[in-house]
Amino acid sequence: MFLHNLKYDFLQNIRARSLMLWLILFPIILGTFFKLAFAGIYESTTVFSAVPVAVVENGSNQIFREVMAQISEGDDALFETEYTDEETALKMLEERKISGIIYVDEKLSMAVAPDDTGSSAESIRRTIIKSFVEQYNAQQSIIVDTALHSPAKLPDVISMMSESSECNENVPLTNGNPDNMLSYFYNLVAMVALLGSNLGLSIAISSQGNLSDIGARKCCSPTNKLVSIISSMVSCIAVQTVCIIISVSFLAFVLKVDFGSKLPMVYLAGSVGGMAGVSFGFAVGSIGRMGLGAKSAVTTAFSLICCFFSGLMIGNMKAIVDNYAPWFNEINPAAVISDSLYCLNFYDDYTRFTQKIVTMLIMTVIFTAIGFFLTRRRKYASL
Amino acid sequence: MADTIVKIENLVKRYKDLIALDHLDLEIKQGEVFGLLGPNGSGKSTTINCLLSLLAFDKGNIEIFGKKMTPDNYEAKRNIGIIMQNVAVFDELTVIENIDYFCGLYIKDKEERRKCVQDAISFTELHDFTKFYPKKLSGGLLRRLNIACGIAHKPKLIILDEPTVAVDPQSRNKILEGIQKLNEDGATIIYTSHYMEEVEQICTRIAIMDKGRKIAEGTKDELKKMIKNTETVSVEISAVPDDILEKIGTLPHVYSACFIGGKLEVKCSGGKHNLIRILNVLQESDLHFGRVFSELPTLNDVFLEITGKALRDSD
Repeated sequence: MFLHNLKYDFLQNIRARSLMLWLILFPIILGTFFKLAFAGIYESTTVFSAVPVAVVENGSNQIFREVMAQISEGDDALFETEYTDEETALKMLEERKISGIIYVDEKLSMAVAPDDTGSSAESIRRTIIKSFVEQYNAQQSIIVDTALHSPAKLPDVISMMSESSECNENVPLTNGNPDNMLSYFYNLVAMVALLGSNLGLSIAISSQGNLSDIGARKCCSPTNKLVSIISSMVSCIAVQTVCIIISVSFLAFVLKVDFGSKLPMVYLAGSVGGMAGVSFGFAVGSIGRMGLGAKSAVTTAFSLICCFFSGLMIGNMKAIVDNYAPWFNEINPAAVISDSLYCLNFYDDYTRFTQKIVTMLIMTVIFTAIGFFLTRRRKYASL
Repeated sequence: MADTIVKIENLVKRYKDLIALDHLDLEIKQGEVFGLLGPNGSGKSTTINCLLSLLAFDKGNIEIFGKKMTPDNYEAKRNIGIIMQNVAVFDELTVIENIDYFCGLYIKDKEERRKCVQDAISFTELHDFTKFYPKKLSGGLLRRLNIACGIAHKPKLIILDEPTVAVDPQSRNKILEGIQKLNEDGATIIYTSHYMEEVEQICTRIAIMDKGRKIAEGTKDELKKMIKNTETVSVEISAVPDDILEKIGTLPHVYSACFIGGKLEVKCSGGKHNLIRILNVLQESDLHFGRVFSELPTLNDVFLEITGKALRDSD
């Protein structure tokens, strides 16, 4: 009986086009939009890229050329250098193709365009050029002075200058991907998980004699209600898990969203979130006598509101909520799901991730218990 | 004497101040096609829902197959087939899948179930539509699918709650023929409707309900004998003078004569040759008339005489 129910529940779920639209197509489309909208934002705003400069030489300076060659090489090059004449350099500066011009004479001097863009990135680039020119000139003066007054100490001075004088140690915040835009994709996965509530709704509606004709027909059959509901739950969770796997796989492999090195755990978190979503729908479906349409509107609206507060529409919303009502982030299913993905990426150990998974499982148990409690009734006061 | 399949005693169901079922008693014997006739809101569906243990009731007792009916009386439920007023099938499943699904709620054995599903498809003549989804079916075919889902497990008691509402005449006849066939095959039928013609056509015993009460019960002939009217003679005629109308009213067995809207309507209670006597009076008075009808009483007349209102008026 259980397998019979499971088979047909599964068939119904995978053939329900509107559900598949919400659970597969919608996240794929939204994820693609996110990817298009956020493409390069992280790289252009957060990741350092070489500063384009033009060099105008008023005489040959082999040492400068060697220095420039060294700091313009490799993945972490400081400058992207182009040697040219002054006229071309000024034109490039005017067209904003470069951030500044370095004039090579006895001493270095520089020119930058007027700061009319207000761009913080451009401001940083100018500061880099200025610091470089100042540091180069200072060191050149020291070497020249030493050569003139204490030539014997010149090798030591050059050696000291060559040594790294960094006082700070670079401690990375995370070994994962620190791109803030990832939170949108975490929330997207949370949204897919919560939209599984529509699957859960159908369990309650189709098993309640006072909510649907099919429910009434089922209630008249000799099949135990518990068996019928459990098979429906298993089927819905299975379908929801497949939808989550498809959505996450699309994000990870097609859109190349970097979920870090723990992709199987991302699937796990999404699937457990999906269980919470399905059980939430089951609980809502069991409450009151509203029809499927009205209840579907309630669960969809609830899912989107939860996702809004966890930052699906406004990236820093979760931080704002954390500031004013941190408890809400602990009970907001969307925030818990997206947090679990965040923890996976950000922390090396699984402690916080496990906490989030346990929270989702507790939510699932509570919602399922509510659903069972409300659907267990065997006779209705009215139909 | 046939076994009692359904026994309802003193059933009372209230919705706050409204009494939906008012001390209802019914007894349905094996092999009967039992009709529950009454206008909308008379309590037919409430009776069925209480019978199926879907609805809680305030008072009374219901027994099916000799045992008290409860939500977990699975043995009784196994032998009941229900065909709801509204079509209750899954849009995402094909015709054959729907029948198999609902049949599977009753029958575990796959082989047995396969045969039952095929029998139900044959019975409802849905062979050509087994791979169709319900949305692709016409209203009549959908009703037949609804019936197939309700009877596939070969129940001993089949309850049909207004199965012909919004069905075209051709499909309606097929459904009624099917119900009679199910009865011939051994099933006891409970049939609710507010269409008196259907109930007259197929039911072997009828209970007429109004405002939650059973106002009459018996075979259609027994019900018709309960009322004064045995024959209604109608004559299409342009005018009937008052003295002639009075004369007709004094004829033997005539208890009512009236002229309304170009039609003389005479109601008789018993007696023979009432029609001839009435026509003789008209001919003797040199009155020309058109078509003449002699109608036996209908269940509507029974309802009208008992409640003072027609079945149709009550809808």
